[in-house]
Amino acid sequence: MIMQLLGEILKLTVLAGLAIAGILVILIWKKGLATKVTYLRFVIQVVAMVAVFYLFTYPIWQLIVLIVILVMPLVLGRFFCGWLCPFGLYMDAITLIRKASKIRYRNLPDKLNKVLHNLRYVLLLFFLIVPFILSLTGPPPSLDSATLMALLFAGPFRPLGVLLGPVIPLIVPWVGPLEIGGLYFSYPYVQEVIFYSSGIFVTINALVFVALTVVGSFFVRRVWCRFCPTGASIAVVNRFRGFKWVPVLHIDKDEEKCTKCGICKRVCPVQVTEVYEQKGGKITTSMCMLCMRCVEMCPYEDCLKVKMGGKTVFKSRNWLEPSTIE
Amino acid sequence: MPEISQKEIEELRNTIKATSQKTIAENIERMKKADPNRPEAMQYFDEIANFVTREKEIRAAKEEGKKVIGYTCLFAPTELILASGAIPVRVNSGWYDASKLGDRVVPVEVCPVVRSTIGAKMIALSPYLELSDALISVLTCDGMTKLSEILSDYTPVWAMTLPRVKDSAQSKRLWREEIKAVKGQIEALTGNKIKRKQLKSAIELTQKATKAFHRLQELRKGSPVIMGRDAMLVNQTYLWDNIERWTEKTEVLCDELEKRARQKMWACPPDTPRVMVTGTPMIWPDNWKLPTLVEEANPRGVLVADELCSSERILYDPVGVDEWSTNDMLNAIGERYLMASTCPCFTSKDGNEDRINWLLNKIKEWEIQGVIYYVVRGCMLYAMEYTRVKKVLDSLGVPVYYLDTEYTREDVGQMKTRVEAFLEMLTARIDI
Repeated sequence: MIMQLLGEILKLTVLAGLAIAGILVILIWKKGLATKVTYLRFVIQVVAMVAVFYLFTYPIWQLIVLIVILVMPLVLGRFFCGWLCPFGLYMDAITLIRKASKIRYRNLPDKLNKVLHNLRYVLLLFFLIVPFILSLTGPPPSLDSATLMALLFAGPFRPLGVLLGPVIPLIVPWVGPLEIGGLYFSYPYVQEVIFYSSGIFVTINALVFVALTVVGSFFVRRVWCRFCPTGASIAVVNRFRGFKWVPVLHIDKDEEKCTKCGICKRVCPVQVTEVYEQKGGKITTSMCMLCMRCVEMCPYEDCLKVKMGGKTVFKSRNWLEPSTIE
Repeated sequence: MPEISQKEIEELRNTIKATSQKTIAENIERMKKADPNRPEAMQYFDEIANFVTREKEIRAAKEEGKKVIGYTCLFAPTELILASGAIPVRVNSGWYDASKLGDRVVPVEVCPVVRSTIGAKMIALSPYLELSDALISVLTCDGMTKLSEILSDYTPVWAMTLPRVKDSAQSKRLWREEIKAVKGQIEALTGNKIKRKQLKSAIELTQKATKAFHRLQELRKGSPVIMGRDAMLVNQTYLWDNIERWTEKTEVLCDELEKRARQKMWACPPDTPRVMVTGTPMIWPDNWKLPTLVEEANPRGVLVADELCSSERILYDPVGVDEWSTNDMLNAIGERYLMASTCPCFTSKDGNEDRINWLLNKIKEWEIQGVIYYVVRGCMLYAMEYTRVKKVLDSLGVPVYYLDTEYTREDVGQMKTRVEAFLEMLTARIDI
């Protein structure tokens, strides 16, 4: 009874959140702050999280989310990671708490960051291959659940489930790993952690994982994005030569307007150095998640641009707002 | 330092001060004459360009217990000085006559900016140098390095080591440490701890100034609404003026200029050759001969942009803060001064390409038709970078003219011939 009430309250808060997001969008629009990407991004992240939550209440939609994750990068690159990923939102929220408590962030050493970045692909391969082998050696997948989802995600397609890792809501509409009074709680990737643990370690590993990511993202901005296998799967189109032309959305740099002031490098939540280092042109790095913070903070008019299919959708401007006459 | 009798000091100071006041008046008079539509808001800057007004103000502030911190190079973190409640002033000297005195201490081959600053110190000529409780000296070029040694006989000097490669990780680390060290020294001198709030408001103050500055430079993009000399004077007064008031007055000036642009009241005919000047700093009041020559020559030119650390480089780059924590603000300040600078004392694996990019950007956006590469004798870094710059500008087909001079009035006639020949060539190019 109480839990039902809680559930109702939760739904109401979600609706209120959506309403606030809507108001925020209108405010940004009215004040001419449309270029304040950070706010806009936050709003879109919240909306995306809510959307994902409702999508997950229908089994078939899980497949749709997966298809979106797999197909969208072909068009938008890692736009998903920066703007839609719910796990990203959780980490950004923790960053907001840190900012409010005026505690400084730490940076990972650039070299370690690059190593981790390549390690993601190994992690991805591992997660894709090992469960597949296990499913071949183990007992045949049970077909007692007649839904399509179960068929796909319990059988040979089980490995693909890892790609859904970061979009798992904190409260899941299905039977989740942790039950408190009728509501099931989960956490991104915690199902994977449980899958690879056994016995007493199921709980311990899951707790350690949650604690590590929460504490980690408190001190290091977007810490999981440096490990994320889903991110790696999305980044593939940016990573390997021959595919770099694929994403329509990318950041473009005008070398002549750049004074190498280093702001783009400092503000990047995943410590991408290519925007700073590369000499103009299309910036192709699989580490960039297109959060556009660098474009927003670059103080030189037109120096950094976000281009979509050759068209500029957003560009850096002198955020000190100089006059525009002549 | 050579011994000079008190009497001689007095005499020299009085004569040079009198000449300097005369030069200031004459420069302003000529600036007024050059532009019949000279903005009314320029009056404020004319007044502040006269050192006397600001000197009185600073003296009064000092009596109230405020400290004054001078600096010789633009790398000194002004935000930290402002946050501690002290007054930042730049102390480089532009007096021709003082450079002759400097010859008694250092050889004539040394850069005249350095010699003149030494000379000014010898006879207590520059009000800002005299009022400074401490000096921040950034070891950029050889001249500045040894200048800080000579000045340390008179005033406490805090030297800051500047890494010569600006974009490597180790350079950034060193510079961050230097910024922290100088912060400690400022705190010790003023007795005020630099806290988050003060630092934030200091950064916001300079950001507002940067905004006004950018507004002014943007206005110089189209047909000229303001003569280059006037804009350069506005930029340079920032170095000693009260920053809040400077911002306010610059905004007023920009409002007026915008009005003029709408009414199409040009400062000079729109087809006047648009010239950019780059090189050694030109310091008010005496070293104003090149801008005066360019804008009074026949045919006339107009300076619409420059790359001088006495003018546009002062405020071109804002401090970009990501998170308003003390640590990040210090990082932002450090990076703004080190990494965004185009001083020729830097090098990297591509040469000082930031400077070349600056020039290219200005040439395209401000439609520059000719570049004057201005070097005073003894300024090795600028002189040695000329060939690299020329190569790039040649490939663009932009004429560049190397003009070397000294801290002297004697070569004005000869310079005039050279500048006029260059401008004539530019006019001919435009006519074709």
